[in-house]
Amino acid sequence: MTSPLIKRCLAVSIISLMGLGPVVLFVGVAQASYKATPYQTSRKNAGTPNSTMVKKNSDGVIIAYGNSSITYRAPSAALVTLGDALFQQNCASCHGTQANGVPANGTAGAFPDLVGLGPATINFWVDSGRMPAANPRSIEAIRRVPRLTHHQALAVSAWVNSLSPSYPDIPYPHLKNANVADGAALFALNCASCHTIEGDGDALAMSTFSPSLRKIPSIEVAEAIRTGPANMPRFTGNLSDAQVNDIVKYVTTEIQHPNNPGGFGLGGLGPVAEGFVGLAFGVGILALAGFWVGERDD
Amino acid sequence: MTDEHRTPVSLSGLSSNDPRLQPAARHPELVERVISVCFIVGTLCLAGFGACYWIDAQPWKLGATLGAGLLFLGIGIVAWGKYLMPRGPFVEERHTLANSDADRQAFAAAIVERGGSVVQRRKLLGGLLGGGMGIFGVVVMFPLLRSLGPLPKRTLQHTDWRSGSYVVDQSGRRVEVGDLAVGSIETVFPEGTENSDRGQAVDQTVLIRVSNEAFTTMKGRETWAPHGYVAYSKVCTHLGCPVGLYEQELQLLVCPCHQSMFNVTNGAVPQFGPAPRPLPQLPLYVDSSGFLRSQSDYHQAVGPGFWERS
Amino acid sequence: MSDVINTQRAKKQALGPYGRVGKSLDELDDRLGLARGGRTFMDKIFPDHWSFMLGEIALYSFVIIMVTGVFLTFYFIPSSALVTYHGSYLPLDGQKVTQAFSSTVNISFAVRGGLLMRQMHHWSCDIFVGAIVVHMARVFFTGAFRKPRELNWTIGLTLLILAIGNGFFGYSLPDDLVSGTGIRIAYSIMESIPFVGTYMAFFIFGGNFPGTSTIPRFFILHVLILPLVILGLLGAHLFLLVRQKHTQFPGRGRTEKNVVGSPMFPVFMAKTTGFLFIVSGITALLGAFAQVNPIWQFGPYDAARISYAVQPDWYMGFLDGALRIFPSWSFMAFGHTIPLEVTIPAVIFPGIIFNIAYLWPMLERKFTKDNEIHHLLDRPSDRPKRTAAGVTVLVMLSMLHIASSTDVIANFFHLSLNAVLWGMRILTVILPIVAYPLTYKLCKELQGVRGAGKRKTPNIVSRTAEGAYVATPTPAYGEDVGHELEATPVPAYIESEPEEPLESGVRTVDR
Repeated sequence: MTSPLIKRCLAVSIISLMGLGPVVLFVGVAQASYKATPYQTSRKNAGTPNSTMVKKNSDGVIIAYGNSSITYRAPSAALVTLGDALFQQNCASCHGTQANGVPANGTAGAFPDLVGLGPATINFWVDSGRMPAANPRSIEAIRRVPRLTHHQALAVSAWVNSLSPSYPDIPYPHLKNANVADGAALFALNCASCHTIEGDGDALAMSTFSPSLRKIPSIEVAEAIRTGPANMPRFTGNLSDAQVNDIVKYVTTEIQHPNNPGGFGLGGLGPVAEGFVGLAFGVGILALAGFWVGERDD
Repeated sequence: MTDEHRTPVSLSGLSSNDPRLQPAARHPELVERVISVCFIVGTLCLAGFGACYWIDAQPWKLGATLGAGLLFLGIGIVAWGKYLMPRGPFVEERHTLANSDADRQAFAAAIVERGGSVVQRRKLLGGLLGGGMGIFGVVVMFPLLRSLGPLPKRTLQHTDWRSGSYVVDQSGRRVEVGDLAVGSIETVFPEGTENSDRGQAVDQTVLIRVSNEAFTTMKGRETWAPHGYVAYSKVCTHLGCPVGLYEQELQLLVCPCHQSMFNVTNGAVPQFGPAPRPLPQLPLYVDSSGFLRSQSDYHQAVGPGFWERS
Repeated sequence: MSDVINTQRAKKQALGPYGRVGKSLDELDDRLGLARGGRTFMDKIFPDHWSFMLGEIALYSFVIIMVTGVFLTFYFIPSSALVTYHGSYLPLDGQKVTQAFSSTVNISFAVRGGLLMRQMHHWSCDIFVGAIVVHMARVFFTGAFRKPRELNWTIGLTLLILAIGNGFFGYSLPDDLVSGTGIRIAYSIMESIPFVGTYMAFFIFGGNFPGTSTIPRFFILHVLILPLVILGLLGAHLFLLVRQKHTQFPGRGRTEKNVVGSPMFPVFMAKTTGFLFIVSGITALLGAFAQVNPIWQFGPYDAARISYAVQPDWYMGFLDGALRIFPSWSFMAFGHTIPLEVTIPAVIFPGIIFNIAYLWPMLERKFTKDNEIHHLLDRPSDRPKRTAAGVTVLVMLSMLHIASSTDVIANFFHLSLNAVLWGMRILTVILPIVAYPLTYKLCKELQGVRGAGKRKTPNIVSRTAEGAYVATPTPAYGEDVGHELEATPVPAYIESEPEEPLESGVRTVDR
């Protein structure tokens, strides 16, 4: 015994299911159509020590370069042995024993080739806890508590760099010399389009995410700007060391410690959180108050 | 209270000892005490607001004292009205708004007959006046509308990129061919417009360097991207937001406003999202001194769609 | 001595039984003839129901908006002229910003109490529009818009549109990065209208984007023209309310011919004044503890800059969501472009929604052929079709509103942005379709269980002389009676479901 209403409901759901089918298919296609393009950018021509202050060791190898804004330091050569051991233990299962992206039983191209990427890149990935990856097959490695200490991360980058020395070295920004106002303007032009103007990060295309900047130490900020990890574009050639230093200063002061003079910062979600608070707390509480005010029926 | 006393009555002519005029509260003295506490606390808070203002305290202290003060006073006043005032319920008659048929007819007659006799007998005058007012209405719109802004003409179809325009960044520095590392992105302008409103809004262009030195986005654009430098209009073809979000592994330009995704490798064809058209590509060349310059203006109008756009 | 007393007594007697107040009222009545009308007004009855306070939230929010807004106009400079900021907020020091932006930052940091006023202004605007929407939903679902109140429904709807518009203008005034992006989008939406779009955009914004006329024009619209129109319409709204008297829910002693509740003076006056204080108190507390629109963090607008995750204020969210999820259909032919991907979601769709809302009282009258005058309200479940239609529209708008934060959702639950967007596309279509029959069914069920939540009464079972058992229900408990609302009697052809004759004691629910 079916009433017309049930029949109508059935018809509607069948029609909507028929509409849903192609839609789901389309989603699948849209998701599947993502594959690595042949235009993968290489990171092998990073900024070289072109600045005036270059420091070499007794063998004539550059161990530090930079200027009053950022000093780039190569990890100490003494760490190479330790780094080798750590790499074989933690990284070689994917990146191969020679760090060339070819695991023992695999083929080339399955995992990134690390040779010649420069110490800053390696240090960023290991020190931010993204490597060793929680799930090596995921599109994106997620920031988490680092498995290796700062010292060990330096050692790994020292060993990888020893295979084919390259740049950039690990940047140490001199925040005292930075101009936070210039940093704010540069941040708005270069960084806010992904990380949001409040530095909270957000979901980007496909399953990629821009991370929150709220707890990133200054060295990692500078490393990320200079090396462009994963989907982040690299800012080399368009930002001077002084400008990078300004941005790092703005991120580590105003973004990470905003002095919200107007009360709680509402998680930096912007108008979404504001609307939620306005409706749930504002209208909601007032409607409850209205419930008390309006009822007079005892 | 008995059932009988809950029947609503009219307020006028109620005897003063009627139970409906008694306070609604069961213990009025207690309520009175609570209300007076509310008033005292509220007054103290408002005095605190004055003090906070005087010493220029932080905004949250100002707001907290003001808000608490108003809230306590409000709660007190409402409680006063709700619990200590005549409990009712009272009733008021609702009179029909409509008037009697005679009144209605008299009103309609006044308008139709009197007005009709005046206008119908002087049709010419009515027509002339109506025409005059109509023309006045149209004419008066001219200054109101036309003075508001310039005509669009063809300003939306063109940008300030010319044949040979130098590519400069926001500080006005000319971009050289060795400047950008692979995987870098920069917002650039035609030289001379980098500080103007129009330059920022219309001419803004993203310059991306990809690893492929002989990079071609599509057929017919073989010379447009010298040394892997590819330039697209930064104005989204959906609603005009700056497409500043570049994901270098996915090779996607994403619009931060409504998440349209443009594929950098094949001429910024929209791959996902609401944008209907590719971002126009700017043809570039490298001059003999190694500076990046534009071959010409964009070949299509940049930015969102509009009627005159071909 | 006794002379003095006598004079005082004589004076008192000369003043009449109501003393100085009475005397002043007499003088007033001599000149204005207020006594009878005033008395009627003091005796005016307002029905007591919590849902009748929702409109008051809106009214009092508007009062707060006016007061705080006047404060802000003293310090805000509506100009796009560029100045170099040298104020107390260091990250902006030395930046070239517009005067509008610089003065707003100064209100926040340099003017004493300025930040509180700014935040209260913004919060009360969010609450204002929210309360209007909730109030409107109440009016819709209870049928308060029916004859004779169609005109007031129209005015109220116009007020909602004006409030949204003025909210947008105000949001745009500080010329910060986020609001500037909003203006850019508004410009593009204007441009998308076929035939006249570019001209409209050029005339309204004074030329090609961004131009320098936007801020001054939005300012005068925001602080003078729209508030005047809103004030006028608000006056008309309240006048009609007083003239037509308030609706009420059916109940004991309440009929189409009376109003039951509390008198204007003193009960309603005390409650409503107290409520004004409560609304301002809550708004001030929000302004104190919840930071809203921190424009100093956003920085000044610059057409080449953009922040991710920019959403408009909540009341524009449904438009933004519609723009996000609408597919990229564009019409390009014959040398012309109609950007359907913008025109349909941002111009045609809201046009349809608001026009249906405007026409709804007429449409309902036409379909139900109910031309009666109604002062008693409906319970939503008694009018399942109307309720279902309203819920459908609300669900659709809510889904669009949620769709305006696809990125936030994707980030929060760590999902693919593309998948979330597709999910919202599907839900926005499917959920309203599901909502209608679901609501309809729910209303029908609710009609069947009238009295749910009340205490059950015992049945007295007795045996007749013939040996048959008869169960007689005892009467309901005293406190439970009278709360039960009876449906307003309406002509029989409304909701004309074929009624089956009821067997006694058997309730039938439409399946």
